[in-house]
Amino acid sequence: MKRRVPALPEVPARFPPGFLTLLHELLAAGARLPGARIEQQRARRAALSQSGTFVGHRPYVRGDDLRRIDWAASARTGELFVKQLEEEERRTAVLLLDLSASLLVGSPPRRLAALRLAAVVGGLALRHLDGLTVVAPGAGARAITSFAGAGDLAALLQHLDTLPVADATPEAAITLLLQRGAGGRVHWISDFATPKALELPLAALRRRGALVTGWLPGIAEDVQAPRRGYVRLVDPETGEVVVVAVDDALAAELAHQLALLGRQQDRLFAQCGCPLVRWPSPADGDFRRMLFLPILARCAQ
Amino acid sequence: MSFAAPWHLGWLALLPVLYWLALPPRPRQQAWTAHLAQWQMAHAALRRRPPRLSGLRYVLLALACTAAVCAYASPLWRGEPGPRRLVVLLDGSLSMAARAAAAADGATDAFAVASSLVRRQLAALPQHVEVTVLRCGGPLRRRLGPSARTLLDLGGPEGALDVDLPALAAASAAPDTAVWTVTDGQGQRSLPTVGALTVVPATGVNAAVLAVRTTDRWPLPGLGVEVDVVCHADAAQSGELRVSGAVAAVAPRAVTLAPRKVTTVSFELERAPAGGELELALTVPGDVLAADDRWAARLPALPAPRIAVLAEGEAGPFAGVAARALADEVGGSVVAAAAGEPVGLLLTDGGSVAMRPGAVRAVSFGTLFGSEATPTPWLDPAVVDWDRTSALTAGLDLSELRVQCAFREALPAGEPFLWAGAGQREPLAVVVGDERQASVHFAFRLQDSNLPLLAAFPQLLRRAFVRAYGAAARLEPQVGPVPAGEQDLLDHAVAADRALPRFGAPDQDLAVWCVLAGLVALAMRAFVR
Repeated sequence: MKRRVPALPEVPARFPPGFLTLLHELLAAGARLPGARIEQQRARRAALSQSGTFVGHRPYVRGDDLRRIDWAASARTGELFVKQLEEEERRTAVLLLDLSASLLVGSPPRRLAALRLAAVVGGLALRHLDGLTVVAPGAGARAITSFAGAGDLAALLQHLDTLPVADATPEAAITLLLQRGAGGRVHWISDFATPKALELPLAALRRRGALVTGWLPGIAEDVQAPRRGYVRLVDPETGEVVVVAVDDALAAELAHQLALLGRQQDRLFAQCGCPLVRWPSPADGDFRRMLFLPILARCAQ
Repeated sequence: MSFAAPWHLGWLALLPVLYWLALPPRPRQQAWTAHLAQWQMAHAALRRRPPRLSGLRYVLLALACTAAVCAYASPLWRGEPGPRRLVVLLDGSLSMAARAAAAADGATDAFAVASSLVRRQLAALPQHVEVTVLRCGGPLRRRLGPSARTLLDLGGPEGALDVDLPALAAASAAPDTAVWTVTDGQGQRSLPTVGALTVVPATGVNAAVLAVRTTDRWPLPGLGVEVDVVCHADAAQSGELRVSGAVAAVAPRAVTLAPRKVTTVSFELERAPAGGELELALTVPGDVLAADDRWAARLPALPAPRIAVLAEGEAGPFAGVAARALADEVGGSVVAAAAGEPVGLLLTDGGSVAMRPGAVRAVSFGTLFGSEATPTPWLDPAVVDWDRTSALTAGLDLSELRVQCAFREALPAGEPFLWAGAGQREPLAVVVGDERQASVHFAFRLQDSNLPLLAAFPQLLRRAFVRAYGAAARLEPQVGPVPAGEQDLLDHAVAADRALPRFGAPDQDLAVWCVLAGLVALAMRAFVR
């Protein structure tokens, strides 16, 4: 039944001073990202080096070096393709952010944890790699934004802080990402609420040679019913409303269904050879370092 | 369709309230969720449904409520305008017994023709028409409903049409009531101008026995009869008057009847001892109304009086002499007063008798009834008066009556007809009994008075005998007088027939159907989730 949808929940301040302090500490003492040392040496000759391990093709876009066009592949298909070299792509990282309203669920909202997670991962990429691309489907002109160097950290935080709430399907997000070029490390931050919709996009990314890491900021609602009693449940994405009487039996059945969902998410990423990282969202204002260390550890692998 | 009480439709304003009540309760808590699909699957796994408003259930409830409100507002399906009641004024007077000129359906008289016509017409009427039949003429009879439609027990034609049919038709007519007058026009100055009219033709020559006067000589067998007859015709008619029944045979008397002139015919008849029915019949060729040609009366059996005498020892011969004289006059006999002996009249003089006054036909003189006490003499009671109107003493002269001694105890409670006393009158003789059996009691014995010597004594004794029999000896006419207005069938009111109007249809009450529809809606709602 469709009903009048109340205003979406507000997300508290994303990057308060406490978090910025913690972020700088993490970036200063954080582990290096894989290949970072090699990339620093190669960065000096980035303009001259056109070599690397061939990992795949991508459609030619205006501005690409004509020398990288694979003429044999273009002759077979009739379209222009350029070669993607692994060494070249590894110097950057991509943050694929889910801006949908479903991330507003939770206390604190899952979106708050997602943005702070993006800030930490993006900061590490800016500090240790050549650049960072933030892909935010639904953000309009700012759907794809690139940052380079540690000095862009403030710009990155500003960008993340001002991203709107926008619904976009996984297919649209992957299409946007593929247009830009799917090579390198892709950090996909989402709630992955509909695992079946992710199957094809993940497979497409895998075929293009992207190394995808799924980040799922966890909230309490992912494992159990939020409350008991006569509750009106609202889906923030669709506005659909369901009225339920939550008792112990229903709560147990819901926990079972949520566990099934978690297993589906894990199986999906496992089938694609990608890791799925569940990071429990800390409470708002809880900036203990130990809570964020798992992010650094995962990025260092 | 319309409503008799449309203001009750205001209750339909309750429908929004019903809708509000049908809404499921709203939860006080609200939670955002990204796992709505999981919630729904959990709900489905437990076979639960979220509380929701069932549109079909509400529609059925609203339909039932609407039907109930409509039934409360008395929905009507308008019928057709027109009368819905019919009053039939059916002439049942004696003239309707005349032979019908064109009898149909085996009918023999005008009343049968009229009854058949009315019965056919009523059978064709719609069932919702309320029918009332008034049989006018003779005893007024009123029939309603089914008994009216079948003309149940209306009887035959008799009596006079002593109602004013035009006035009755005008009084019965109303906007919703039609009047239908069925008559032969006899006995009315004019016919109704209101409502439908059917005139049944019943005309022709009619001879009638107008009146019969009798001179009854009971207990003697002689009977004098004078008969007034008349013939309503345009020319003189010859006829015959016959006497039959419980009398000695009498030859038929030929009579010539002038038009509308009364002719008197006298008969001297001798009654049969056993009694029976006496009938006088007038026969005139071409007479269409036979019901007024006959006169009949029931004649009681002639008495064969067996007179018994009980007289005390010191009584004189007066009682026995009186009994013999009375027996000679009435043709009876004097019998011994013995147990088991049938007695027609008991004549007692003095003494005491064990009998109940009034239960036995008797004439007593100074006799006590069931009392052994010595009576108190009443010496020299002066006779002061007697009843001049009583059948016993009317026309008799009892002024010479002298009584030496009387006994008050000899008089039971009864109707006095002879009194004595100087200041306050006291009865000297009474009659005890009813119309068909009585006893006459005197307070004095015959030897204590000069009554046997009076000239009125035999007459008084005979009258006492007649009074003892009372109505049992009276002639009873079986046929009443012929109504004057029902005799001349050649003189009747005339008017053209008028057909019945078109009857309206009643309004149909749809409340039952509304209630039924509401119940069906509720029954269907019980099966809808």
